[in-house]
Amino acid sequence: MKRSLIGRLWPNVTAVVLFLGFVFPVYWMFATAFKPTGDIVSENPVWFPTDVTFEHFRTAVDVDHFWTYVTNSLTVTVLAVVFSLIIALAGSFALARMRFRGRRHFIIVFMLAQMAPWEVMIIAMYMIVRDASMLNSLVPLTLFYTMMILPFTILTLRGFVAAVPKELEESAMVDGCTRRQAFRRVILPLLAPGLMSTSLFGFITAWNEFALVLVLNKDAEAQTLPLWLSRFQTQFGDDWGATMAASSLVSVPILILFVFLQRKAVSGLTAGAVKG
Amino acid sequence: MKRKLIAAIGVAGMLFSVAACGGDDGGSDKKAGADGYAGETLTVWVMDGSSPDQWQKDLAAEFEKKTKAKVEFEVQQWNGIQQKLTTALSEENPPDVFEIGNTQTPAYAKTGGLADLADLKSEIGGEWTESLNESSIFEGKQYAAPWYFANRVVLYNKKVWADAGLKETPKTRDEFYDALKTIGEKTDAEPIYLPGQNWYHFVGLVIGEGGELVKKDGDKYVSNLDDPKVVAAAETYKKFQSLSKAPKDKDEATPQQGEVFAKGNVGAFIGMGWEAGIAIKANPKIEKEIGYFTIPGATADKPEGVFLGGSNLAVAAGSKKQDLAKEFLKIALSDKFEGQLAKLNGVIPNKESLQSNLEGNAPAEAAAPAAAVGGTTPLIPEWAAVENDPNPIKTYLTAVLNGKSPADAAKQVEGEFNKRLAQQQ
Amino acid sequence: MTVQTERPPSGPADVRKADDGGPGGQKKRAASRAGALAPYLLLLPACVATVLLLGWPLLKDVLLSFQNLNMAQLIQHVTEWNGVDNYKETLTSEDFWRVTLRSIVFTAVNVVLIMVVGTLIGLLLARLGSRMRFTLMVGLVLAWAMPPVAATTVYQWLFAQRFGVVNWVLDKLGWHSMADYSWTSSQMSTFFVVILLIVWMSIPFVAISLYAATTTIPKELYEAASLDGAGAWRSFTTVTLPFLRPFLLATTFLEIIWVFKAFVQVFTFNGGGPDRLTEILPVYAYVEGVGNQHYGMGAAIAVLTILILLGLTAYYLRIVLKQEEDEL
Repeated sequence: MKRSLIGRLWPNVTAVVLFLGFVFPVYWMFATAFKPTGDIVSENPVWFPTDVTFEHFRTAVDVDHFWTYVTNSLTVTVLAVVFSLIIALAGSFALARMRFRGRRHFIIVFMLAQMAPWEVMIIAMYMIVRDASMLNSLVPLTLFYTMMILPFTILTLRGFVAAVPKELEESAMVDGCTRRQAFRRVILPLLAPGLMSTSLFGFITAWNEFALVLVLNKDAEAQTLPLWLSRFQTQFGDDWGATMAASSLVSVPILILFVFLQRKAVSGLTAGAVKG
Repeated sequence: MKRKLIAAIGVAGMLFSVAACGGDDGGSDKKAGADGYAGETLTVWVMDGSSPDQWQKDLAAEFEKKTKAKVEFEVQQWNGIQQKLTTALSEENPPDVFEIGNTQTPAYAKTGGLADLADLKSEIGGEWTESLNESSIFEGKQYAAPWYFANRVVLYNKKVWADAGLKETPKTRDEFYDALKTIGEKTDAEPIYLPGQNWYHFVGLVIGEGGELVKKDGDKYVSNLDDPKVVAAAETYKKFQSLSKAPKDKDEATPQQGEVFAKGNVGAFIGMGWEAGIAIKANPKIEKEIGYFTIPGATADKPEGVFLGGSNLAVAAGSKKQDLAKEFLKIALSDKFEGQLAKLNGVIPNKESLQSNLEGNAPAEAAAPAAAVGGTTPLIPEWAAVENDPNPIKTYLTAVLNGKSPADAAKQVEGEFNKRLAQQQ
Repeated sequence: MTVQTERPPSGPADVRKADDGGPGGQKKRAASRAGALAPYLLLLPACVATVLLLGWPLLKDVLLSFQNLNMAQLIQHVTEWNGVDNYKETLTSEDFWRVTLRSIVFTAVNVVLIMVVGTLIGLLLARLGSRMRFTLMVGLVLAWAMPPVAATTVYQWLFAQRFGVVNWVLDKLGWHSMADYSWTSSQMSTFFVVILLIVWMSIPFVAISLYAATTTIPKELYEAASLDGAGAWRSFTTVTLPFLRPFLLATTFLEIIWVFKAFVQVFTFNGGGPDRLTEILPVYAYVEGVGNQHYGMGAAIAVLTILILLGLTAYYLRIVLKQEEDEL
């Protein structure tokens, strides 16, 4: 089948246009963060930063407690992702591979749980945490974040578990493995891409949350980066250089994570789809 | 269980002994012994910009010397302060002492979250200026202590004005407008930075016109935005705002107008005297360029109306350090520190005898003539709800500035405004 | 215990061929008591978490929705029941219904845009050469990875009234009235930016997983179709689309949930303004409850919000329910 020149050209042209469209906001964030203020507030945009400055990053990092926020964000996010992966792995294995009474109901419960609009329940959560004397602590945050990402993790992992050929597991068991060993030695490695793509989702969700931490933790010692960013933004609203530097700092960990996990995660999506 | 019990006591005894809750709760309220309050730390919330670093430092030193306890100042933003304060007051460890705006004090007094300060009043409050103490009194009881008061002035950039060939500061509203126009024509600078939602300034204009934002309808307060006097104030606001490139849907704190002014290409802005400090912090070179004058009124003999902003200091009913908190107030409100605050920030102190501290203070001298014709929003508990975001008065201003007729804009926000004034407490 | 292979009803892996072993499988060993308990034990942590961390706040929220809870009650820890007053006031308020309708339209517009454009980009990815595909993937992944709070801030800057690059471009394109345009000044312009933002950050997920799904369509199906004389469009409608149907359904369900709950983007960009005209239900609940310190009312709106979301997704939930039933 021969295609005309135009037929071959348009997908590539469209792809380039789309690429630019998707990348531009990200590019503009970094570009602004590195530009001197004079180039930011100029009547004609400076498209490429020529003299790079770190001044805005200095303004952003120079805020009290900045490193505390970084540590808190990392702690809470990593713990929430790890907890939810462990809990979800067990649950998804049961849902994907076992037959039992009420299985359908469990699935529906997790689907419903996925729909929970957390922001609107904040005051209820606040009162629970307050009455338990757990305010200004990272523990309730970690727990709630775990729950926020758990349903998606369970439901998605379930697809990945189901996609692992059962023959593999069976042959392992024929070879004398117990079910648990079969799980650990055969299924778990095959699940790696699935674990990565779900943990990406989890990481993004937990890393971003700010409505809850805003109400629960008034103490700067227990606050996280998104809160810092939103406060920074109200205070330095007009200082776009500093605001973009702050946004860049919040985004960088996730961007790095994506770059590392992206290929695995995407091929995970494919693999989850292929094997069956 | 204990909480419920306390809550019950709170309800039953709300009228006479709310403060007791805090004391009963922790039971850790040490009386000052030989050791004083050694090892304790008092948490004090102050609003952004209201108290200078120097004042905080000196006060902390004096406080530690007298009581052996430490004090920790936590700076709060006005945005979202009510939500933060309400939840904080409900917690086990509320801030012991906090600054609270005079328009918001009655609402909080009504909640029972503020400790009764009757004894403090009789001990140190004999000379408090009565009109300034008004907002702290609710149903006859003293729920806060007046701290400082301030009204807005015009802060202007002398260099920009000189560049435009202006030698005198304006005495009337029309002269002010013409001067700003001249700046627009003769220089590259923005004549005035006036964001669309500086509603405190708008309240001042309404007061200047002799109007009121709300009126009484039976025993309820309702919107009075369609009053011709309010309309006139809105027109004035719009006229001046048209000279500014500031966003019509933002207030003076987002971004801080002082920081915008600091860049040096703004002719003037309307703000508190101490906002000069924000500008100087952002750009120390601007200091020598800043000048102040009273906001000119319609005629030369009477300055523009202003909103008499003020802050009180209150003690949380739930604080476990009631005595220490009162010790703090005694020191903070003493002539020494009240005077220092007035001097440093150019704000009106809570006693007339301390006014001498303002002599030679340029912003304070610019503010003084207008204070006499200043006023506040109604000092009713219902008012605090109006100030919650999205504040209907801000919405009204933005609508007018975007071309709606004041009558239509008044109609547009009336529902929301009345709903908030009538909101169940 | 029975080992069973089955079709997962949701998630990206949903696109597998449906012809693998039916229910049953081979019985390996007799069901022991412990074995019968195993699935429940495995699910126990997840259930405990759900009950404690979601069920409890939810219950608390329902309880609060029957209370008069304002500043005073919150500060004093007082419980003041007021029956269905909050619901009565909410349901009879014109605002609530306006916001509900707005939320539904907002969700629909976003989801349709995300699904249509996302699918098209996914199909485009399948058609591109490998180098171009990699390039576009990188672009998509970068947009996908941006944290919403940061992304919203970036969009504020792109669309800033002064020095915003969008206004500059529009001005240069000859649209001079846009030179100093305030995007936050009207309902439609605010929605435009918020929708653009949400669509921009949501498309990558749809596009990339759809691309992944198309790679699993067996080539034989297309060959058979072309033998039948089907053109490009016919083979798309008879092969591609039916194959992707379960995947598209599952993704649409997820997108509905995510868009409906898009609190951060709407709230951070313009706080639901101007004049509360861009408030969607979660923002409305927040403004009325937390913002306005009318917490009981906020809780009632929250409960109603959850019910409306349930209603919107009921169709999909029923499909899942039925599907699972068929397989048991």
